[in-house]
Amino acid sequence: MRKDKNPYRPIKTEVLEVIKETPSIRTLKLKPEEPIAFKTGQFIELTIPGVGEAPFTPSSRPSVIDEMEVTVMKVGKVTEEIHRLKKGDIVGLRGPFGNGYPLDEFKGKEILVVGGGCGFAPLRSLMYSFFAMAGDFKKLFFRGGCKNPSEFLYKKEIEEWTARDDLNVRLTVDTGDGTWNRNVGLVTTILDNVDMDYKDGIGIVCGPPIMMKFATKKLLDMGFKEKNLYLSMEKNMSCGIGKCGHCRIGIYYACKDGPVFQYSKIKDFPEIWE
Amino acid sequence: MHYISTNNFFRLLDALKFNYKVYIPVKKGEQRFYKKYTGPQDDIVIGEVRAFEPLKAFFAQAREVVAENFSDDIPHADDKPFAIVGVKACDLKGFKVQDHVFKDHDYKDPFYLKNREQNLIISTDCTSVIDTCFCLALGIKPYPQEDFDINLSEVKGGFVVEEGSEKGKGLVKKYSSLFQEAANVIINKRKAQRARIVEKVEENIKENKVPREDLYKGIIEKNYEADIWPEEAKECVECGACNAICPTCHCFLLYDQKDRKKMERLRIWDSCMLKSFARVAGGANPRPKLWMRLRNRFEKKFDFFPKVADVYACTGCGRCVSACPAKIDIRKVLTRLVENA
Repeated sequence: MRKDKNPYRPIKTEVLEVIKETPSIRTLKLKPEEPIAFKTGQFIELTIPGVGEAPFTPSSRPSVIDEMEVTVMKVGKVTEEIHRLKKGDIVGLRGPFGNGYPLDEFKGKEILVVGGGCGFAPLRSLMYSFFAMAGDFKKLFFRGGCKNPSEFLYKKEIEEWTARDDLNVRLTVDTGDGTWNRNVGLVTTILDNVDMDYKDGIGIVCGPPIMMKFATKKLLDMGFKEKNLYLSMEKNMSCGIGKCGHCRIGIYYACKDGPVFQYSKIKDFPEIWE
Repeated sequence: MHYISTNNFFRLLDALKFNYKVYIPVKKGEQRFYKKYTGPQDDIVIGEVRAFEPLKAFFAQAREVVAENFSDDIPHADDKPFAIVGVKACDLKGFKVQDHVFKDHDYKDPFYLKNREQNLIISTDCTSVIDTCFCLALGIKPYPQEDFDINLSEVKGGFVVEEGSEKGKGLVKKYSSLFQEAANVIINKRKAQRARIVEKVEENIKENKVPREDLYKGIIEKNYEADIWPEEAKECVECGACNAICPTCHCFLLYDQKDRKKMERLRIWDSCMLKSFARVAGGANPRPKLWMRLRNRFEKKFDFFPKVADVYACTGCGRCVSACPAKIDIRKVLTRLVENA
């Protein structure tokens, strides 16, 4: 985000493709008129002309700047409109905003990534970044959970991840069905026995608030340090530049000081999981 | 220090009209409202106390277009700036918060920046006091000391004029024929008048038992779970008047016009007292109860801003006290918080 420009103006953007991921989740492939470079974990505001805008963290590779993918779950007014979009429609993009993941600080470490539901979206972008930095980490683990198999995002890709040598993957669903032959239970049930040094390891958690709350608690119980847990906080981000006041967490604004926070920085503030 | 006669002052305003939209307080009933200046008229009140509207309305307007048709241009960038006359010290303190948010911190807001650079502030000493005034409790004197271009102190037949900025100095220089050197006897009058108003505000604070800012440290943290919040919020009707009227409240909503053919984005003052304020898509809400939102309002003013900008986000202007239909009184809430801390 350049600082000398109009910070409230979205860049005109064309919808290149709409991918139906699950019954309630779609991924949009977008092409902004001006390239948008982002750091993995930063977010953008997606404008639907005549409707409004909403914040999303791109799920695509940060190295690609002339196109961007966002994965959107239908939960409200704007996202309902987003689900009606089709190829060729015009939308707007504003950003990127916030801090993103401090990838350099993860170098040389053992990393455990824990995702829940639509939290896979930013984590896919993060995993792409990790893959591009291959060799920079000692160990890499991915633990992902979802409500049920039909709501599982990026199935094909995650299947490919499981085949990688540099990554250890375990997946779970809250409720299984005939097609599911992996673990059934909350994501916390697949966090035991991760073959890593918890005391020095990095934990990255992204998902719905309730999942984040219990996954964080579990990781702390396992021995992770508070400062080594990185949470992606979902708040009502709107302006993106710390002015409109909606996304305050204690003395921070999620939009400019986050959305990625070390747990140690926010743990004493009330309301963080709400 | 200079002196300007009332007649010459209106001549000055007439001249300023060419380059500025000049706004001046006029009295209606017991209130003072900003009105566009067209010429001298009887209901103009330059002294007395703060106007009904907070000064922020001239710097980040209640409703303004901030983006159009995906263009990077700044809408209404060529509008004439405002010259605001009769601004009081409590409103000027609002800049300590508004500047932090929009100007001095991270991203600079181009709309605010333009107004801050181009608007002209002609402030005045308070020459009277109303029951809700408690500026001194927040360490603010009832006469401007900073953040003005020129300040006027009403004396018989005219004003003592003090320059507060380069822009103010330039103004006095440009229209030097309208000004004269202020005589010592007049400056002494100003001093006496200021002392008289300070005394009156002190009486107000004493009578209403308003605690002073040196007692505010930690009052939110210590009272976070106190019954004070649900009790004080009981009568609140969630109208948001306290936010709109407050010189330090800065929160806004980005609103897109419901026209699919063009893209037009407005920035509109928002209120943290409204239920939807912090709600996220899907319905999760960190502050679902009204009393939590009242607590949040106080937290922002007396915990957040002192921590991030070293300033209490209250100016003692008393506007929220008079605006609240539920009679929630910030002075009383502060008293309870301090006593219970």
